[in-house]
Amino acid sequence: MEGRPADDSELITRALRGDSAAYEEIVQRYQQIAFRTAYVITGSSADAEDAAQEGFVKAYRALDRFRPGADLRPWLLRIVANEARNRVRSSGRRRQLELRLTEGFRPGDAAPSPEAVALASDERQRLLALVNALSDEDRTVIASRYFLELSGEETAAALGIPEGTVKSRLSRALARLRARVEEAANA
Amino acid sequence: MPDLEEQLAALAPAIDWPLTPTLKVALPTHGVVSGEAARRGRRPANNRWILAAAAALLIVATLLAYTPSREAIARWLNLHTTIQRVQNPPTPSPLPPGPLGDRLGLGTPTTLENAQSQLAWKIEVPPSLGRPDEVYVKEPPDGPSGGEVTLVYAQRPDFRVSGQTGVSVLVTEARGKVNEVFFQKMLGPGVTIEDVTVKGRPGYWISGSPHDFVFADANGDAHYERLRLATNTLIFDDNGTVIRIEGDMTKSQALELAGSLS
Repeated sequence: MEGRPADDSELITRALRGDSAAYEEIVQRYQQIAFRTAYVITGSSADAEDAAQEGFVKAYRALDRFRPGADLRPWLLRIVANEARNRVRSSGRRRQLELRLTEGFRPGDAAPSPEAVALASDERQRLLALVNALSDEDRTVIASRYFLELSGEETAAALGIPEGTVKSRLSRALARLRARVEEAANA
Repeated sequence: MPDLEEQLAALAPAIDWPLTPTLKVALPTHGVVSGEAARRGRRPANNRWILAAAAALLIVATLLAYTPSREAIARWLNLHTTIQRVQNPPTPSPLPPGPLGDRLGLGTPTTLENAQSQLAWKIEVPPSLGRPDEVYVKEPPDGPSGGEVTLVYAQRPDFRVSGQTGVSVLVTEARGKVNEVFFQKMLGPGVTIEDVTVKGRPGYWISGSPHDFVFADANGDAHYERLRLATNTLIFDDNGTVIRIEGDMTKSQALELAGSLS
């Protein structure tokens, strides 16, 4: 066991037995994706932090209802995203999500793919600007799927919609983005 | 030149996300011994049984204007519902923008067919209203343990549209464990409650001034649904499913809809 990171089900079992360190490990493991998912929904770092924090507390309380053998990540993301939406709803406002590009890659981030290298920096800036200019719904589904790199199940959980709707919503969002890209290219 | 999806995927590692904070998740020092036990030990108010008991006490203590018999209180609990009589009910919040389901916290949008496949019990539909315009499902941990479905009917002949939501009728159906309190009603002084019988089973017709819905989620946390139609409501037990019909309608219209559910 030593040296091998515990898998999620092992951590859940330990957390259910009262081992709070095991749950803290779960939090550590998923806090980044949880926070970023909440950020995509709320458009605010402070709200995203609150939502992620509260989401993890709620997940802890509901841990005994987690279905053994299921994937933990979509379950957690659903709770955090729901918390994020509740915050947006109760405040009655949502900050405009404005995604930006880093100048360089942070240590620990994945190395740029060949496609990333191929896509020149100014082209990336232009494409992201077009994504930012989409409607909330289009931008959120694209950000979830491509930028957060969530699976279909996780995107559905994060957006609170069925997986089938993710596909149709994504396809419509891509069609609208494609049209804008072409429009910009012809301008 | 890569296609659009490849270009988007290529942006992922270059997105400048805000720095992820180290989350401080305050857990109880005694941890999760077992889910139920932990909830009992850690947050007594979050335990459904205690919540139900507290709600029952609350009813006895606060229902001065409406004094139901002990049996009536028990029936409220069987309907997974408690009521609270208040002098100054909260004012419904202004309607925020966004999809109706989000605004009303109805759950995940879906279709009637998909909702039926998700739930272990049969969804009842009032045929006279035609197909619902929107359908939402709420499952644990956000909804009751047996799940909840909401059917949204926009404009329908003979039914007035609520100015708050632009909806004529909301039908909510939910199942939960015995004594699982997931609906609560906060009633102002101008609200009346009548016993009714629907399909031979007990129910209540609540009408008058706007009233506020409160429901408890799987953690026992209360959620205030201030943006519901806040109009008249028929609530009854249909063979283990608690059904709420809400809208700006008369009692006979509500009873007719309830009787037609199939």
